[in-house]
Amino acid sequence: MIVFENISKIYPPDSVALENISFRVGKGEFVSIVGKSGAGKSTLIKLLLREEEPSQGKIYFDDYDILDIKISHLPYYRQRIGAVFQDYRLLNNKTVYENVAYAMEVMGGTDYEIQRDVPQLLGIVGLEDKFGNFPREISGGEKQRTAIARALAMRPDVIVADEPTGNLDPYHSKEIIDLLEKINEMGTTVILCTHDKEVINSLKRRVITFDQGELVRDEEKGRFIL
Amino acid sequence: MFTYIRRIIRFGWQSFLREGSLNLATIFVIIVTISLFTFLFASQGIVEHLIDGIKDKIDISVYLNPESSQDEIIDARDRLSELPAVKSVTFLSNDEVLEEFRKRHVNDPVILESLEVVGSNPFYASLNIRAQNTNEYASILTLLNSATFEDVVYKVDYLEKKTVIDKLSAFIDNINSVGLVSAIILAIVSVLVAFNTIRVAIYDASREISIMRLVGSPNKFIRGPFIVQGIINGTIAAIASCLLFLLVVNILDARINDMTNGFDLKQWWVSNLSMIIVIQLASGIALGSVSSLIAIRKYLKV
Ligand SMILES: Nc1ncnc2c1ncn2[C@@H]1O[C@H](COP(=O)(O)OP(=O)(O)O)[C@@H](O)[C@H]1O
Ligand SMILES: [Mg+2]
Repeated sequence: MIVFENISKIYPPDSVALENISFRVGKGEFVSIVGKSGAGKSTLIKLLLREEEPSQGKIYFDDYDILDIKISHLPYYRQRIGAVFQDYRLLNNKTVYENVAYAMEVMGGTDYEIQRDVPQLLGIVGLEDKFGNFPREISGGEKQRTAIARALAMRPDVIVADEPTGNLDPYHSKEIIDLLEKINEMGTTVILCTHDKEVINSLKRRVITFDQGELVRDEEKGRFIL
Repeated sequence: MFTYIRRIIRFGWQSFLREGSLNLATIFVIIVTISLFTFLFASQGIVEHLIDGIKDKIDISVYLNPESSQDEIIDARDRLSELPAVKSVTFLSNDEVLEEFRKRHVNDPVILESLEVVGSNPFYASLNIRAQNTNEYASILTLLNSATFEDVVYKVDYLEKKTVIDKLSAFIDNINSVGLVSAIILAIVSVLVAFNTIRVAIYDASREISIMRLVGSPNKFIRGPFIVQGIINGTIAAIASCLLFLLVVNILDARINDMTNGFDLKQWWVSNLSMIIVIQLASGIALGSVSSLIAIRKYLKV
């Protein structure tokens, strides 16, 4: 479903972030990408979202070369990927409900669909009682769950999560990871980037290890080894 | 499409309600700018009034030959009136001139006494000529000195007035061009200041916009609410400016009336009301929306 082919990324002038990375992610997989900070995990996500372009190599999404996507079509491509980040990236002047609804409004969902789906999505992530709260009024874990609900609202083919537990304590980290597993079980592909050892070892899923921009290990039911 | 527009308007309205201090700053600079525009417009009205006042005081007096007959005088007057450059011609008989002179110097017994000494009426009948335009006096003067009017004209009150008239024409031209240039400069400066303030004020938009892009929002859907918000701010600023100006008109009306020799600010405001409201609304909305657009433009690439 997603193929990285000989990807290198050099930030000008000479900062090498990724070097000759190749791997593929199948539909419905749960893949973790691990590595020390600076290993190139976030860069890989930026390339997939086409916020950056690779210096070399190709990325295919459902057999389409994403570098061929026209700028004007980028929004529609990005609607197929639900992205979750360490810093949550919620819209501060919208409530929890509105943040999730926004993703559907952008895609042209009808009012009926929005009123039906948003409460359901917020139910999945356990935020039934926070509809009207603004991001500044809820905890980090709740913010991240809002972000996940928003990612789900787009009915994405894949969810990418870049250090989603980076700002959370172990208890709330586990909640988030459990949620991602639940989403994966419902059929959505998940790509999780993290340097959190506990998270990886509890997952027992495929683990790809990066070190200084290179792919050093790719194991089914992997463990966190650096 | 309709759904999109409805959502864009709702988002803009929400941002307007929820970003209090930012909107306040924006509205404030727009009010300042609009007030400046209004002030420029009003001062143009005042200058026009002053110039009209001065123009009204300018005329040419033609002293008539005492020997010329009534018919000759009427004929001369009619011929002058027919000139396109001439606005009006008034005939004053020598008795009327004397009467006016008496009235003017009613508190000056010495002068009145000297009139008694002279005995007969020392004044000439005259024609007072007003031109349509100050710069046309020169040609009228030339005509009056030509052979056509030789018989009736005793003397044209000419030399003393010519320099004043010339200077005044030049001065009026100057006021108009200097006024225009300074108005344009002021307008440009104030627009730049407004743009910059708004740009700084919504600097934080870069974060919001990157999030919207991440969620897959098309650019028009990102831009729309900012424009709506700008339009709301601009409209409120325009209304506030309108009220502010109304207040100023009421406070300064009498004083400006004194200062400008009878310029009726309130009357001017009423008769130009629709123009003023159009200027205020248009500049408010344009400033609000265009500056939002410019401010977010650089974040919308890619
Ligand atoms: N915009 C950038 N400009 C220059 N260098 C960058 C930029 N972003 C990341 N890098 C460099 O690329 C490398 C990989 O960074 P990153 O992908 O953020 O790693 P990770 O997410 O694994 O911590 C680092 O050495 C970082 O300094
Ligand atoms: Mg990172």
